Amino acid sequence: MKDTDTLTRAAGSRDPAEGLRAVASLRVLLEQLQQLQVDNARDQGWSWQDIADALGVSRQAVHKRYGGRRR
Amino acid sequence: MFERFTHDARQVVVTAQAEARALGHDWIGTEHLLTGLTGGTGLGAGVLRDLGVDTGNVRRAIAAATRPESEGDEPDPAALETIGIDLAAVRRRVEETFGPGALDRTRGTPGRRGRRAGRHVPFTAEAKRLLERALRESLKLRHRHIGTEHVLLAVTANANTRAARVLGGLGVSPTMLRRRILATLLGQADSA
Repeated sequence: MKDTDTLTRAAGSRDPAEGLRAVASLRVLLEQLQQLQVDNARDQGWSWQDIADALGVSRQAVHKRYGGRRR
Repeated sequence: MFERFTHDARQVVVTAQAEARALGHDWIGTEHLLTGLTGGTGLGAGVLRDLGVDTGNVRRAIAAATRPESEGDEPDPAALETIGIDLAAVRRRVEETFGPGALDRTRGTPGRRGRRAGRHVPFTAEAKRLLERALRESLKLRHRHIGTEHVLLAVTANANTRAARVLGGLGVSPTMLRRRILATLLGQADSA
């Protein structure tokens, strides 16, 4: 039953609701993996600049998101 | 200050810490104290329950208020499957390297890194002020101990705390709650 559902859904992938739901889930997964790897990098002594370079973003962006004092 | 706490009030603090930890929060906030109040015994818990405030709806309100920017808390495996991503496989790979539950612990929320596993979770400034206020409430009433009723009175004293906002969202105003607590206290022969 699950395989049929998947096939049906894949076939009907023009449905923006489905497509956007997949994107939204991917975004959550992306943020989880990013958090995990930023933590990992920091644990291994990487600077915010190193991390920013690896991610292709500014140091400020990474620091703002993951660094600094607790809220 | 904690020496003056009744057993029930102490239990509220213990529950609040467990709640914060379970949610992966790095601080015990007034909202966790509120959860602790609903779950316990004592006058405060009783008053809340009479007003229809229970652990379930407080937890839901907190979850809704601390929702991360993204759509949902967890990625939907079926949705990811439609674009060829096997979430289970991703999770397995991650766990191979970082240990069981590594992916789930992050929860996609940006913020302070690292878990305080097994370590003491500190109070927010707001929560500290609330507990200090509980002492003042007890003193104002000339009571000898700080019970759950005083902690709850402290919640009513500041409409800007997260706990107060959760209650507001559940239709409980500070004034109404305060009146209820005081009425219950006056209606009692002894304060426990």
